[in-house]
Amino acid sequence: MKSQFTTAYRNPVKFRMPTADNLVPIRLDIEIDGQRYKDAFTWNPSDPDSEVIVFAKRTVKDLKLPSGFITQIAQSIQSQLTEFRSYEGQDMFVGEKIVPIKLDLRVNHTLIRDQFLWDLNNMESDPEDFAKNFCADIGIEDPEVGPAIAFAIREQLYEIAVQNVTSAKEIKVNKKGRRGMEYIPVSKAGVTAVDLAKLFGSKSSVVRKRKDWDVFEPIVDILSNEEVEALEAREDRIAR
Amino acid sequence: MSSHSQEQQPPLEVPSPNTAAITTVPTKPDTTPPPSDPKKLLPEPPDYITVPSYSSWFRWNEIQECEVRHMPEFFEGKSSSSASKNPNVYKYYRNAIVKKFRSDPSKKLTFTEVRRMLVGDAGSIRRVFDFLDTWGLINYSPPSGKPPFKWEDKDKDKDSIKDKDKEKEKEMAELTPPAVATHQSSGVAGGLNSRKSNKLCSGCKAACTIACFVCDKHDLVLCARCYVRGNYQVGVNSSEFRRVEISEPAKSDWTEKETLHLLEGIMHYRDDWKRVAEHVGGRTEKECVARFIKLPFWEQFAEPADMGEEESMSGKDQVDAESGTEPPAKRMRLTPLADASNPIMAQVAFLSALAGVEVSEAAARAAVAALYDMDHVRSRNSGQLQAHSMKVQDPATESSGGSISCTPEEARIEAESQLKQEEDEFLKSTANIIEIKVGY
Repeated sequence: MKSQFTTAYRNPVKFRMPTADNLVPIRLDIEIDGQRYKDAFTWNPSDPDSEVIVFAKRTVKDLKLPSGFITQIAQSIQSQLTEFRSYEGQDMFVGEKIVPIKLDLRVNHTLIRDQFLWDLNNMESDPEDFAKNFCADIGIEDPEVGPAIAFAIREQLYEIAVQNVTSAKEIKVNKKGRRGMEYIPVSKAGVTAVDLAKLFGSKSSVVRKRKDWDVFEPIVDILSNEEVEALEAREDRIAR
Repeated sequence: MSSHSQEQQPPLEVPSPNTAAITTVPTKPDTTPPPSDPKKLLPEPPDYITVPSYSSWFRWNEIQECEVRHMPEFFEGKSSSSASKNPNVYKYYRNAIVKKFRSDPSKKLTFTEVRRMLVGDAGSIRRVFDFLDTWGLINYSPPSGKPPFKWEDKDKDKDSIKDKDKEKEKEMAELTPPAVATHQSSGVAGGLNSRKSNKLCSGCKAACTIACFVCDKHDLVLCARCYVRGNYQVGVNSSEFRRVEISEPAKSDWTEKETLHLLEGIMHYRDDWKRVAEHVGGRTEKECVARFIKLPFWEQFAEPADMGEEESMSGKDQVDAESGTEPPAKRMRLTPLADASNPIMAQVAFLSALAGVEVSEAAARAAVAALYDMDHVRSRNSGQLQAHSMKVQDPATESSGGSISCTPEEARIEAESQLKQEEDEFLKSTANIIEIKVGY
């Protein structure tokens, strides 16, 4: 176990989304004059910046929002993109890291709760593909659910990647004191990596224990209108 | 909540792009009610979707060459093999967007809607959406017959036909000025030139007449001719122009009295539009001309002229106009000469009228034959052209004068009516036979 971590330290990877495409999750939550606009989508950071303004104008026109939103939206997207790019030059630590990804989202009338394991080390992973398959397998009718799932996964992966960058930075600082090295990833990283060896340890089976099945099973609920309203009211209250 | 089954519905909708392309050309609905119109009035999610003819290449299960050209990010380079930008992803986006639009074609599909329901990054979805929008595969409704706005639809046409027909248009544009010059008294040209305009075209440095096209983005002002020729900079999209009328007609309807005066004036003064306008009183020369052309019987009033040069040119003009600017030509010809807002078409119509029916026909035939020879070595796109040219040839041989220029559309309508006649005859004869049989 020790050796696992130490080898990972020696070859840090340049920061990027640990997915096949380097797409950034962008979240927008803008309020102007009592009108609230919330949205979330994925963005390709290699798109030219002119794309941002075009997108902002398009969205405002499509949703018939007042034009004050255009600059706000564009600014918000730009700042998130800049943040993403600021991480880009830096190193990221990715070791053997299997992290649990949790889904807990409501899209229109569909409620989804799920948990699954994701391999951070897999640079070819594809949240979009996962989302598409998820919807197809479960038979979700609302087409807006797919993008929401992909976005949620990306957001969490992004957070973890960012944490990895900061932890890599701290590790460099601490490298002078060798003793602390092994303890750091466990304490600093926000998400505890699942230790595969421990999990599957002595048994040779890859199949999960029965008692864990419920935890990892996806729950999909279709809500009625009243339930949706109730949930929305509660969310607004929490937000304020 | 829209329900989306995972399978495409090719059996239902594959026929429609084809039939739509053939039966429903963008020009048809805005003139006389053609046969396909009643189908579009169906309230339920339609069995027939209108697709502009320049987009008839669309197939659910295939990706065409023009798509590869317009959306290279999905098809070339190493990015094309990546998970998010390969041809399958493009097809997924495209089909999902088109399907969503077709589930309710009366509603305009917005990009935001589409973006929210497709898994993927906003930028590439937007590009696919814009591509489909420009080609009229989504958010397309046939023009509703308002002549002043035809140029907006033609913007799309210009995009697609610009490449293949640029030469033809240049040819035609070059021909028409000399043709106009030879008619000192030609009403159309005269009326145009006498109009003072303060706009100079940035393309050909000539004064803009009738209408000019303004592009605010690049600060360009083009005359109609240059616009049609595509005589502007590379980076400028033809859809970025808006049409600005130079002359402002009163836009009031012509009363019968006025029309009567107009006809009288023309009888007396022939080509002297100034005096005709005086006679009518209250109408500018241009309005008179425009009105005159709109009249359904105007060609009887126009005298055949004896200028040989002008005949061949006019013949060539109209053929070039037909094949070069197909969609506008089709739009024009259904109520023949109905619209003079397209200056080129107006001139062509006028010239061909002056040349006389038989002469124009002969010239057209000859020109078409020549074009056909040129065309048949070209690619499949102009194969369509050739098919249309051939159609023009055939009705030209059997038309009994009265129609000055035969377009594919007219030919088709004629063919259809003949077909109907035959059908009726057939039905009659079968009815007779049955009667006889039953009588026994």
